Amino acid sequence: MGRRVTLVAVLVAVGAVLIPTSANAIPAFARKYGVACSACHTNWPRLNRFGIAFRDNGYRMNRERDNPVTQSPGYWPIAFRSTVGYEYNSNTLTPVAPTASNPLGLATTSTGTFGFQGLDILTAGAIGEQIGFLLVVEAQLASANFNTNAPQGGDLESAWVVFTRLFETPYLNIRVGKGALNDLPNDQHRSYQLTQSYGIYFFQAPGSAITYSPGDNYGGVEIFGHNELDNFRYSVALLNGSDASVPWWSGTVVSNPTVWGHLQYYALTGGDFLASIEPGVFGASGWQPTKGLTTQGAPAPCDPSTGNNCVSGTGSAMANFYRIGGELHLQFLSAVNPLTLDGAVEFGSDSAPLIVGGNGILGQNADGSPTRDAHWLGGYVELSYTPNPDWTFAFLYNRVVMLQQGSSDYSPATGNYTGYDFLVRYNIAFSSRASAAFQAEFSQASTTLVQGSLPPGMGPPQGTSVLLAIDFAY
Amino acid sequence: MTTHRALLAVSFSIATLVAFPRSALADDKPVPIDTGLAKKGETVYARWCVSCHGQQGDGRGYSAQWLEPRPRDFTSGIFKCRSTPSGTLPTNDDLMRTLTVGLYHTYMPPWAIIGDAQMRAVIEYLKTFSSKWKEEAPGTPIVIPAEPPNDEASRKRGLGIWKNNQCEKCHGPEGKGNGASAPTLRDDWGFSDQPFNFAASDKRKCGTTNSDLYRTFMTGVSGSPMPSFGDSISQQDAWDLVHYVLSLQAPKDTEYPIAEHY
Repeated sequence: MGRRVTLVAVLVAVGAVLIPTSANAIPAFARKYGVACSACHTNWPRLNRFGIAFRDNGYRMNRERDNPVTQSPGYWPIAFRSTVGYEYNSNTLTPVAPTASNPLGLATTSTGTFGFQGLDILTAGAIGEQIGFLLVVEAQLASANFNTNAPQGGDLESAWVVFTRLFETPYLNIRVGKGALNDLPNDQHRSYQLTQSYGIYFFQAPGSAITYSPGDNYGGVEIFGHNELDNFRYSVALLNGSDASVPWWSGTVVSNPTVWGHLQYYALTGGDFLASIEPGVFGASGWQPTKGLTTQGAPAPCDPSTGNNCVSGTGSAMANFYRIGGELHLQFLSAVNPLTLDGAVEFGSDSAPLIVGGNGILGQNADGSPTRDAHWLGGYVELSYTPNPDWTFAFLYNRVVMLQQGSSDYSPATGNYTGYDFLVRYNIAFSSRASAAFQAEFSQASTTLVQGSLPPGMGPPQGTSVLLAIDFAY
Repeated sequence: MTTHRALLAVSFSIATLVAFPRSALADDKPVPIDTGLAKKGETVYARWCVSCHGQQGDGRGYSAQWLEPRPRDFTSGIFKCRSTPSGTLPTNDDLMRTLTVGLYHTYMPPWAIIGDAQMRAVIEYLKTFSSKWKEEAPGTPIVIPAEPPNDEASRKRGLGIWKNNQCEKCHGPEGKGNGASAPTLRDDWGFSDQPFNFAASDKRKCGTTNSDLYRTFMTGVSGSPMPSFGDSISQQDAWDLVHYVLSLQAPKDTEYPIAEHY
């Protein structure tokens, strides 16, 4: 029974890595300014330098045509995005009830479904002279058919306001509200991939009670800035490192605080082969409660690893985790239609009190001994080529390896994650009003399970996904 | 005799200018388009410019009909912001300046972010849209003398120049862009082209510095109703006019210009 629970938990974790978050591409901006999607996106939804600068400036071109009062009253800054088509999913070594012909209770599942993936309703833009905003509503997806293993609920995914050019300098901007970090090494919300994410943004060590994943959206305040040409950029954010899925808060002034920092520098080389280079460093440090008051007394104690039966706002005994990493982005052949090589490496550490052992108790191994810090190292490499604004070819490789397990109940390789994704994307309609792209994508991913979860010589389970879809935005 | 020779020389010069277009003069040979660079510029143009300026560079991109003012028609070889005399082609530096900072109060954004190499390439490419670049050389940039003091006397003289040149017919008595003829003004392509409201904004199309304003007075905004005064006012007059026009701008902390502007 315990083995089965662990197996399901790990598969859910694999699923979480496979399921991308919603993605942002906002044709309302193209409509407002008359530019084609290719002005801001290398190929949508991925931003190019011009698009990054536009976003960093609070969705402004800064030529006196940004504010709502300069627009026709008929202009309404709203956009929709969805993806429709066919998705095939296959997962090996899936637990099922044992039978005479399948005594191990393991099967390969296959689903081929027509449906849709995600529905984002986005509105964003300038409110006033130095104020911008973004709202993203993710509609209820239980009927999507795609990713049927884990349908997602509807949510107001992002809601924030940004104050730009404070004291008339681009180095000081403040964003308040809930949303994705402005500034990940590669933007999770604007990635090409629809069936696989950047692994390090969502990875959690086996047994870890950490709820923070940089690829998700959190409430907080972000101070960011850049020079006029937007090639030097920094970001510092103070976030609530938890969200609606685990709404259990510590009783501190800033609940479950997580601090994020990022520095990037982009330089055009002027060369014909290597067109640009962009190194960067990033990191996060957060604190999460390991004790709290319960709602139901001894029979159902507060479980700090899930927040179950815990009274929100009573969390205490804060324990730390941190992430630190580096990145490099290279553009070859052209900065206009580039062959891009992106890579990032991240080291993660969760302190011992935040690790759940095999007995399900925080900070304790199954034999009652204390857990220790968990360490992992991960990264990704992505090669993408956009020979013209219509076509993009991309390959993503993800790998995360446990360096030290937090609990002796887990074998050294438990949780190791490998994934790759190949896609072709072609814009079949492309204008300053709307876009539709055909995308063919193949991805595979696997996570090593807890020792003993599977019979010797079997595993790790592998998830495969094939997507043939029309991704469109209006 | 001396007078006779001088008259002869002047007559010959005038006859030469009339007989030969400016580009045919030995010193003003067209600069050949760098085709290699233009080829690179074509990809830049396709990504960032085509939706407004059009595939043929005629200012009729698919977004153009919704934009005011309309995107420039490159096939005409007429450019708004130049350091060169009215009627002549701009220099590469002029075009770089426009690309780098964009044009305020239009939908032309600043493109400095894409880098100098990309901007230089697209400049070569947009030259391929008009035969004018093969026939004429860019004009010679005007010289902008050092700015004299912006004092009461200068502004007072500037007011006189403003009146003498009937600036208020278009820009209005207070420079708010609401002169009597403002509603009827059209650009060379027949589209409405409204005079600038000096009271509401210091973000003038062809640049925000005092020198930019001086240059605009002396070279005009080609293709628009704004003429060049380079042949009719002196350098001192132009600076006086700059100082007067600057005085029309309301203090930044007043709400009045915002309301007027919008």
